[in-house]
Amino acid sequence: MPIPLKIVAQQICVNLALTFDGKVGAGTFKETFKAISADASPRALKVFRPGFSPERTAREIDAMKTCDHPNIGKLESVSRCDYQGTAFLFAIEEFIPGGTLSDRLRSRGSLTPDETYNAGCELISAVAHIAERRLVHRDIKPDNILLRADGQTPVLVDFGLVRNLEMESLTQTWAQRGPGTPLFSPPEQLNNEKAYIDWRSDQFSLGVTLSIAGLGLHPYGNVATPIEVIEAVAQRKAPTAIFPAAAGRAGLPVLRKMVAPWPIERFRTPGELISAWRDQRG
Amino acid sequence: MGALLQVGHDSKNLLPVPELSGFTGVVLNPVNYAPDGMMEITTGLRGRENFTVYFDPQLYNPQSERGRLREWGYFPDDVDTADQSNDQWWAELCGALVQNCEEVGANIICSPVVAPNAFTDDYYLRMVEVHEILAGMARRTGTTAQTAFVSLSDLSTPSRALAIATIISKTSSPVVYLILSGDQDPRRELDRVDELKGSMRLIRALEGAGLRVLVAFSSSDVLLWKMAGASDCATGKFFNLRRYTRGRFEEPSQGGGQLPYWIEEALIAFLRESDLRRLLQVGGVLSQASLENPFGQQIIRLLTDSPGSAWLGLSWRQYLYWFIDVERRVSSGELDVAGLLRTVERTWRQLDDADVLMEELRNDGTWIRAWRRALVEYQTF
Repeated sequence: MPIPLKIVAQQICVNLALTFDGKVGAGTFKETFKAISADASPRALKVFRPGFSPERTAREIDAMKTCDHPNIGKLESVSRCDYQGTAFLFAIEEFIPGGTLSDRLRSRGSLTPDETYNAGCELISAVAHIAERRLVHRDIKPDNILLRADGQTPVLVDFGLVRNLEMESLTQTWAQRGPGTPLFSPPEQLNNEKAYIDWRSDQFSLGVTLSIAGLGLHPYGNVATPIEVIEAVAQRKAPTAIFPAAAGRAGLPVLRKMVAPWPIERFRTPGELISAWRDQRG
Repeated sequence: MGALLQVGHDSKNLLPVPELSGFTGVVLNPVNYAPDGMMEITTGLRGRENFTVYFDPQLYNPQSERGRLREWGYFPDDVDTADQSNDQWWAELCGALVQNCEEVGANIICSPVVAPNAFTDDYYLRMVEVHEILAGMARRTGTTAQTAFVSLSDLSTPSRALAIATIISKTSSPVVYLILSGDQDPRRELDRVDELKGSMRLIRALEGAGLRVLVAFSSSDVLLWKMAGASDCATGKFFNLRRYTRGRFEEPSQGGGQLPYWIEEALIAFLRESDLRRLLQVGGVLSQASLENPFGQQIIRLLTDSPGSAWLGLSWRQYLYWFIDVERRVSSGELDVAGLLRTVERTWRQLDDADVLMEELRNDGTWIRAWRRALVEYQTF
């Protein structure tokens, strides 16, 4: 019977003189808890499942260490905790209190065009920062975007699937699908076409995220039938007819290029995307 | 936008020709010149404004046609046996290449590529990685171009062009030096529709992504590459006859390459002397561009006044003048290529109906239909 990570988190809090304040999220490789430090400031405590893809965990931590951007979650420290003879890796990160973008969309509906535009400016800047480091996040989606206390400023988190383009891929070439959340993944990730993956894959996922958040629709179909949407993306079909019109009406036509089926049809450099995103609003 | 001269064997005397001053640059081909000879060429080019000197290291040449390559410091002794997945091997080669290019005064170094057994994604990805090694070495000294050595048959698969373009566009260079490698017979126009469509789509995709494409070893197909959006096209005096193919290296060096040919825009074809005489006799076939070509005028005068005179040198000039001129007219929108091809096809049909047949069996204009289809269909390929 595996040891519940909550118990380990509580032990870590005792060791570090933090106050345990409950679980706030869970992923395949880890669980996230809220902890309060002695000066009353909150922290995110991430506890990793032992033995679960240690290479991916190491890459996640390395990636976060190299990033320093206001719209990317900050890693403060990484350490290990021995609990009943098992070593647990854990990380302390800044706590971002506004909940996820998914929570926000569920509770208050779509973002306005202005909110989408502003969120786009900040998240594109974050993606550009990641790209400069030759990293690909590969899992950009509303669940992995937290909001700061103002309820508006987005922060990209969870580098659990990060790909370092300078290093050998950890995904097996025989795998039918590469890692990622299918509804937000670009064709090259869905089809495990490693040679085509680079920052433009994140551009696609961000484009889908912003479309869902701001237009209330996925560029390639109805989110109520996700399997059909994913197939349409994987087969590189054209976006739906209503998508370009909706993007145009919202004053966000750049979304169309961001979610093009082939990376070559998207913006080639982060700088080009930043300029185009700004320019679409004059 | 421009036409460049691929400096082939014994081509340096073409550079000072005033009528050919429209070239916007040259591509230095070391297979034809040792460093000293190359330096003579670049010395003669100094002072030309808005003129770019590319250096193509030509590692893709097969063993049978290495020419002067072994006289260059960058050319490795172990090129046929080395482990080409080794970054260190490439780093040493690129370091020497940068030094050689500095010495000869090239503005842009095309990244070295070798010809593969199979054109896989990994091969194209490696081309980009090698460019990045070169770019790292050349950062202090100048600009580099991403060489893209692409198989025409690979491009015949729908959507393959976009896949290849996706990989090539990972380059940090703003310029792509594109070599289309195929197996078309020497002296024959490219005529496989799917290959043409794939090539055009590749060019369009790269240019659409903000990369400046220079199509190397172009011939009369410059019309298609320009229509696809290529910024620049390069040709050489022999590429009216022998574009880059594996097959051309097997051709005897004293073969048909030494015959003079006339480029005729009205047929988009290369004509032998007897063909030209036939058309002059028929009358009304030659294009305005041909009649206004100063070297074309000289050739016709020569054939009329001094039958039997050699005109090989003039034929090179006639072709190169046409190439510069047609590149300019397509770039400026002055020439409607689709309309031209329609007219050309009609002209070939009329000649055939009148039993006016060209000397070479396959010089019958049948490629024009393939070109027209490529032009119409490539955007939806």
